[in-house]
Amino acid sequence: MRRSRRASRRRVIGAASRFRLRDLGSEAMAGLLQRPGRSALTMLGTVLGIGTFVAIVGLSQTATGQIGKQFNALDATQVTVSDSGANQASKPTLDFPADADAIVDRIHGVIAAGVWWTVHFSNAAVSSRPGAGQGTQLSLPVTAATPGALRASGAKLDQGVLFNQFHQAHAQNVAIIGQTTATDLGIFSLQQQPAIFIGGQPFTVIGIIASDPRLPQLNLGVTVPSSTAQQLWGKPLAGQGASMLVQTRLGAAQVVAGQVPIALRPDNPKLLSAAAPPSPTQLRHAVTASLNTLFLALAGIAIVVGAIGIANTTLVAVLERAGEIGLRRALGARPRHIGTQFLAESTALGLFGGLVGASLGVLATLIVTVYHHWTALLDPRVVLAAPIAGGIVGLLAGLYPALRASTVEPAEALRR
Amino acid sequence: MTAVAPPVIRLSAVAYTYAGPPPVRALRPTDLVIRRGEHVAITGPSGSGKSTLLNLLGLLDRPTEGVLEIDGIDVGSASERDRAAVRAHRIGFVFQSFHLLPHRTSAENVMLAQVYADMPRRRRLGAAMAALAEVGLEHRAHALPTALSGGERQRVAIARALVNHPSLLLCDEPTGNLDTTTTLELTDLLGSLHEGGTTLVIITHNPAVAERAGRRVTIRDGQLAESPDDRPSGQDNRPSGQDGAHETLPEG
Repeated sequence: MRRSRRASRRRVIGAASRFRLRDLGSEAMAGLLQRPGRSALTMLGTVLGIGTFVAIVGLSQTATGQIGKQFNALDATQVTVSDSGANQASKPTLDFPADADAIVDRIHGVIAAGVWWTVHFSNAAVSSRPGAGQGTQLSLPVTAATPGALRASGAKLDQGVLFNQFHQAHAQNVAIIGQTTATDLGIFSLQQQPAIFIGGQPFTVIGIIASDPRLPQLNLGVTVPSSTAQQLWGKPLAGQGASMLVQTRLGAAQVVAGQVPIALRPDNPKLLSAAAPPSPTQLRHAVTASLNTLFLALAGIAIVVGAIGIANTTLVAVLERAGEIGLRRALGARPRHIGTQFLAESTALGLFGGLVGASLGVLATLIVTVYHHWTALLDPRVVLAAPIAGGIVGLLAGLYPALRASTVEPAEALRR
Repeated sequence: MTAVAPPVIRLSAVAYTYAGPPPVRALRPTDLVIRRGEHVAITGPSGSGKSTLLNLLGLLDRPTEGVLEIDGIDVGSASERDRAAVRAHRIGFVFQSFHLLPHRTSAENVMLAQVYADMPRRRRLGAAMAALAEVGLEHRAHALPTALSGGERQRVAIARALVNHPSLLLCDEPTGNLDTTTTLELTDLLGSLHEGGTTLVIITHNPAVAERAGRRVTIRDGQLAESPDDRPSGQDNRPSGQDGAHETLPEG
């Protein structure tokens, strides 16, 4: 009933005045481009706010990724088991069983594992000639290690081979030396099977290592099979017990750490203590949180300032363009058409500010990343959300000015 | 008056009082009928109620009393939505200060009127060019208002008012900002529009402009009075609405 009455009235009056979406878009754009300089300045606050926001998120994601990357490479896949029993004992002790490598190797998630300790001599003990006097002996660290320890430490050979299970089983007098040690000892080639003397005992040098990421001290000294060391010089000194190095698969370190002491010493797991690296996710959160809170607050302030800027400029535009508002009303615009137009303008300002800000934020992230030779990490959702956030800022900022614009009295406005 | 042409505007006891305090009666109860094809000049001194009448006729204000009809529609009590629709489709405004948007070309200014009248976009430029041709300015279609003379600007404004083929062209001091020569040209243009069948209501101070109108109404202290229609120059003195051709003009 009511509908039909309205419909018949509509026929008399004709079509209602309209403001189509495309017209709204082009009118809003025209409004902004009338004063490009002012529009650009108005966007500045939003640009800064959104830009800072994106840059902070980008940089913290990149930095976190960087931390994670370094962790994954070494520490996150490493478990160190120390002989806490030996550290408290009063005489030389070795709480690791002889077949410790084999036992730990069987634990799921372990790539390689091995025991090592530092052999202590009262005097400098290493020489490249037999029966050398005190003066010609070098004070080099001597490490006892199982073949598994060499594999777990990731030792890289310069030449020769690493000692293996055969040397270990038969307590062979073989040694691995570091590159610098080789130079110090005057050994440049292994072709002649050079010998060195450790505490008077002859050892054949079978390998020269170029680097060892997990046990860098091996690079600077002499390493012998632990069985040989134990036979010649006994167990590690009290208080300076052996350690076990376990290389695990990514993500397995925490679990493996819990299992190793029980696997090795089911009789008394307390003798061994396993240390796993902190969970990378925990660390990531800690770094991200401390970095972000302050700067995100600053970005938030910039966005609020940007919103006030947009509100202010739009309000000024409403006052300035009263004549235009009156004209549009006279041409058939309804109050809501006027309000929508100004709302669209402020939203567009925020949107473009967000767009420019997001671009600058990405650019800043990239510059810092390239400078540090990092890998840039930035969640694309953040980059996509930034202009939308800017648009919402503009929309909110435009609400009051749009309301003012829609209530401008056309007769009054046209008189000016 | 002849009763042949249908009324475009009908005022029945329309009055307007500005809500005080103190309340000011700007327009006393007034009856006025303007028929299609008429050329009416409304004159009067400042503060006589001219602007009030203009705002009522242009649907920018609502009468506080009486009934105001445009094309037979009671627009005085209509909803704001309907009044906006009537403004968009049936009334063309021409202002003293032109009210052209300075950053838009003549054609774009004319096309602004088509936005709210819901003219399809692809037809706008053609219609705007036709309206500009009607006022003899198609060669300036792509000039900015700043590059136009005062007379040209007002002709662009007239083209904008004409582009939706309104029932009524409402001019508020159209020559107020123009010099004598330009005023004459513009008056000629308005005269020729009237001859083409446009219903013209011109509010003016300028006696020369008022003289061209077929019918003059004076307003003084909010009181309307018809002037005797006995001018010597009979050129525009043809009784409006007698020309049957006007009746078949399409509306809106």
